[in-house]
Amino acid sequence: MTIVVGHPTRTHDRAAISLGAMLARSIGTDLLVVSVVPAPWPTLVAGNVDKEFAAWSRETGAAAVADAERVLAEVAADLQARAVAVPGRSVPTALLEQAAGVDAGLVVVGSAEDGAWQRVGLGSTADHLLHAAHVPVAVAPRGFATHAVPRFDRATCAFRADRASSDVLRRTTEICAAAGAEVRIATFGVLGKTMYPPEIRGEQDVLDSFVEQSEAALRDAAAATGLRDVEHVVATGRDWAEAVGRLEWRHDDILVLGSSPRGVLARVFIGSHASRIIRHSPVPVVVVPES
Amino acid sequence: MSVDVGPRPTLAQQLVRRKPIKLQRGPHDGPDLKRSFGTFQLMMFGVGATVGTGIFFVLQEAVPDSGPAVIISFLVAGLGAGLSALCYAEVASAIPVSGSTYSYAYHALGELVAMVIAACVLLEYGVSSAAVAVGWSGYFNELLDNLFGFSLPDALSYSPIPYEDNTTGIINLPAVVLVTMCMVLLIRGASESARVNTVMVLIKLGVLLMFVVIGLTAWNGDHFDGFWDKGAAGISAAAATIFFSFIGLDAVSTAGEEVRDPQKALPRAIMGALGVVVTVYVLVAIAGLSAQPASEFSDPEQQDAGLSVILENVTGHAAWGTVLAAGAVISIFSVTLVTLYGQTRILFAIGRDGMLPEKFSSVSPRTLTPTFNTIVVAIVVALIGGFVPADYLWDTVSIGTLMAFIVVALGVLVLRRTQPDLERPFRVPLFPITPLLTIAVCIYILSGLAAVTWVIFGGWLLVVLAFYFLWGRRHAALNCGVEITES
Repeated sequence: MTIVVGHPTRTHDRAAISLGAMLARSIGTDLLVVSVVPAPWPTLVAGNVDKEFAAWSRETGAAAVADAERVLAEVAADLQARAVAVPGRSVPTALLEQAAGVDAGLVVVGSAEDGAWQRVGLGSTADHLLHAAHVPVAVAPRGFATHAVPRFDRATCAFRADRASSDVLRRTTEICAAAGAEVRIATFGVLGKTMYPPEIRGEQDVLDSFVEQSEAALRDAAAATGLRDVEHVVATGRDWAEAVGRLEWRHDDILVLGSSPRGVLARVFIGSHASRIIRHSPVPVVVVPES
Repeated sequence: MSVDVGPRPTLAQQLVRRKPIKLQRGPHDGPDLKRSFGTFQLMMFGVGATVGTGIFFVLQEAVPDSGPAVIISFLVAGLGAGLSALCYAEVASAIPVSGSTYSYAYHALGELVAMVIAACVLLEYGVSSAAVAVGWSGYFNELLDNLFGFSLPDALSYSPIPYEDNTTGIINLPAVVLVTMCMVLLIRGASESARVNTVMVLIKLGVLLMFVVIGLTAWNGDHFDGFWDKGAAGISAAAATIFFSFIGLDAVSTAGEEVRDPQKALPRAIMGALGVVVTVYVLVAIAGLSAQPASEFSDPEQQDAGLSVILENVTGHAAWGTVLAAGAVISIFSVTLVTLYGQTRILFAIGRDGMLPEKFSSVSPRTLTPTFNTIVVAIVVALIGGFVPADYLWDTVSIGTLMAFIVVALGVLVLRRTQPDLERPFRVPLFPITPLLTIAVCIYILSGLAAVTWVIFGGWLLVVLAFYFLWGRRHAALNCGVEITES
């Protein structure tokens, strides 16, 4: 299963390729770096405007491919990788077409340009992919580089006590077993907001109850993985940033989340809690469509 | 992992055993309560929680009982509520746990008293959500009628149970829909913020002041003739019904943990809120009475959306009534949300203590809210709101609250005796006069309640206690010493 990496044409953001290389090395597969350039107009236009546009598009593509190859040479010299530029009207659609073409198992993209440094920020491409992809999508934090970490050493699976989540955990465990990485299972919870006027205060109770319930569910889930030592933890806070920040993170971690399918289509649809966890993640995130 | 400590307690021991206060809190539950509120903000919470629960509906109920002396009834009910709030504040400040009267009682007065209080508080919140939803339905129909010229047929806007000669129907659909909407919001984890609360307070006060101003333009002093005709019995009967509209003042009492300098701020905020609320209520009562004779309040036309109808009669056109109805529809929505929320969290606390099936304290991993609990509460409240006329509901709410307040005042007296060294950031002024007076006033107001209300209350109390003795007693979380981390 090839990994398809979306490489931007305008910026020289190397985070996506870095993450793609790390994941490809861990699970032992090859890389296809795709830069999507604007598709030329299909009908002829007087004055050769269309040809000029096509030429510009080709140049942009060639520059992006050259850039990608330069980055690949630096971070993925040991891997089988190639870079291509493809025309497309929409970056995520073109990426998904390429992924379908090579039967890719994963699509990797970078964070939004205006996101916080070392945090995952979902840009329009990532957002669209998460809603439309049938394959897992990985998003690199801004400025992600893998010089120090050639492989990921631990995957933290965000776990919610239900069947879909167990399925994601099972797949994570399989991949980690193959990649020789540890598995950690984490459940995140936040303190509900105080209701005003404050006549009754019960949110701390609710959170305490949630923690007890989750710990029991995590113990069961950890036992069900069949691995010998699986760390499991419930992280809570007043908000999602605090809950995610309360967990210990290493630079060779990745975070795996399931995304809740809505409607009849087997599509990725991110629940609001999942998207908040993603936003505060300091490590690369892999979003797996729940079956 | 039940760690059994020693032999089972005897029944007597169990009935009076108290839940230890867990002083050791986990790392995640530390600073969520900041001491950030001053007197004024606290006062606004009190006003916000109180105004709007009853005043939009209560005149039509109370005036027929007491005549123009309803003004005295308002003062009596206000006095009772204010004194109770002071007592409540002492108990709440001495026992630093989150929760409601139920939690304080369990920590201070023992398991049996806690169950009695639980019965009272469940009535207070559950039935008042239903009553408020029914009231909302009246204003909603009025608003529909004024804005679009149609309203739901009687069959879909009145309950089937008759009360005196009021209209009956099949189901009070708007009330059911309102409760359902609130349920969805609560399951999704929506909460009313301090800012929304402030806006709601302003809307409520705004429309009530508008009512006062317009009502007073139709001043007719003759309407106050025969002020004392209905006598003391009439006054206490009306006060008992009106007490409903002072519920919520205790919101101030429970906020003690978040207040800078509670000894000063709490009584000031309680008194300030009470002052504002009583002033507004008495002005509304005076304006209403001056605008129409006392006998007209029981008119079936005013059965619902009473204030709005009075305004229309006074001004002769619908615009003012529409504004008032709109204000009521918006603000009563938030009142229903908050009371429904309160009910779910009380049941949650009881479930955590093991006195209800565990399902009541389970949290949905998807929404992080107690979904099962919320759905059960909403179904029960929707059934009450949909099928029982509000006239039966208000007195039931009052009796629950009054009984709870009496127990709290007793608690103050008992705790001062049994645990004189307990640290009390807030102490009731003029001890022991205040708690004794509280009990006296509450008993006076209770004396005005109809026999049927006592029967309903007694029946409900029996149900709760029976459930406790047959089921809850054996499943109480304290039985297996897990919770115990004695300070």
